[in-house]
Amino acid sequence: MTKELSFAWYATKKNLKSHAELRASFLMSIIGMAINNTAFIIIWIFFAKSVGAIGGWRALDVVGLLGFSTLSFGIVFSAAMGIRRLPDYVASGVFDRFMLSPKNLLLRTATAAFNPSAAGDMFFGIVCLAIYGFLIHAGAAQIILILALVVVTSITFIAAAITIYSTSFYFMDSNAVSTGLFELFLTPSLFHGGAFQGTMRLVFTFIIPSLLIGALPVEAVRDASLSKFFLIAVLAVCWFGLSIIIFNKAVRRYESANFTTFGGQ
Amino acid sequence: MKKLRLAFKIIKTLTKDRIRYPARLLVDTVAIVARCVVLLLLYRYAFRFNGGVINGTTFAIAAWSMFLYFSFSAFRLRDISRAIMYDVQSGNVETLFNKPVSYLAYRTWWQIGSGLYSYLVILSIGAILMVLLTGVPETMSVAIFWPTILMVSIGGIALTLILYAIVGLAAFWIQDISPLFWLVDKFVMILGGSYLPVALFPNYMLKIAQYSPFGATLFVTHTVYESWQSDWLFLFGMQIFWLIALWLIMYYIFTQARRKVSVNGG
Repeated sequence: MTKELSFAWYATKKNLKSHAELRASFLMSIIGMAINNTAFIIIWIFFAKSVGAIGGWRALDVVGLLGFSTLSFGIVFSAAMGIRRLPDYVASGVFDRFMLSPKNLLLRTATAAFNPSAAGDMFFGIVCLAIYGFLIHAGAAQIILILALVVVTSITFIAAAITIYSTSFYFMDSNAVSTGLFELFLTPSLFHGGAFQGTMRLVFTFIIPSLLIGALPVEAVRDASLSKFFLIAVLAVCWFGLSIIIFNKAVRRYESANFTTFGGQ
Repeated sequence: MKKLRLAFKIIKTLTKDRIRYPARLLVDTVAIVARCVVLLLLYRYAFRFNGGVINGTTFAIAAWSMFLYFSFSAFRLRDISRAIMYDVQSGNVETLFNKPVSYLAYRTWWQIGSGLYSYLVILSIGAILMVLLTGVPETMSVAIFWPTILMVSIGGIALTLILYAIVGLAAFWIQDISPLFWLVDKFVMILGGSYLPVALFPNYMLKIAQYSPFGATLFVTHTVYESWQSDWLFLFGMQIFWLIALWLIMYYIFTQARRKVSVNGG
């Protein structure tokens, strides 16, 4: 396990270094993505100002929401962008070379690529969470809760990504299907938490885990609620376990596309 | 005439392709459902909490305004930026420059052809669902509504293509246009009335939306408001102004970009 993780760390470092070589482009991607994400904050702050608090959600909670969702997005796609490229790997036969690798298959595939703009998401997420912590006058317990929730939301995020992109093994034109499913998962996670009441809340917590990476963590921190934290953590572990099972089952359906691809991406 | 025949041919071929391979439609539909439905539910709660009216606007009007935004986005006209960038990065632009057709016209018709089918299907089915779920606001039954929505839609399509083509042409200088694309795209998203309908804008932001080219691309979202009956001529004028101004800018940038290309053959 330690060996596998140290390999993942090595691969991520290598990816980061190779992208950082094109410094101007790398920095532009990071700054561009941070500005891009700011648009959501502007929109939701104007929304909160126009309509007032809904479901206990205020304007500043949106800062926390975007902090959690963009940070988990950034962490996952900085270290494991290969998951998102799975449809291309499967369709082109590049997946062959991951199967031939002596490393853990999922880890090897996940760490095969890096997304520089995801580093911008990470940076933006950290700034948002720092601002959120400051605005709610977070005490030591809430700060620890925020840090623990960043780990938990990242686990849920990668679990959802693995589950969604495992569909690549089941469909011919899997790019369209996986993009659609990912959109269905990600979009609600960037939405004002007050939108999700009743059945919608249940659906986007237990069936599609969008609220687990944004809205519920904010509510857990805001209410300093350990019970909410444990619910999020238990669901994260369940989703992660399920995603590994789904991936391993899906891989069995893989048939080499017979394109010889040694080296390259 | 020849140019029109080419445009028709490109649009017809791509529409046939999209009908045969409906994957794009599936993605667009899921995206609309994910964004629009959740958003409409949020606003339903918001309007209910505020006694049914916010800033003098009812839920039905706000919902139609947002629906028009999201169905317009299903047209994917903004993808013209990336198409131009890929042409530049791959060198394909050299081949296209050597063809006896205007490169920008070719890219424009291609983009319209790529998104037309998804746009029309989502607009039609979505409009029926909207009528069933929220009803038809009175503002949509006034005489000027249909001719003016058609006019600003066509103006919006042309302006969107020009605005994003300018972004795409930047690829001749900076290779990866993504950060610039995100910036312009988010201005359009905010000022076009996506997640926050135009009627809920603070006054200064409404002014920015009315006077900027970013808001002008989506004046179609203004058509359902009561103010449209008094403002439409001014807003349509603004759209024409930006069309001319941005077309001139695009033409200038394109001329400069052509000079930068050296075709090597082989």
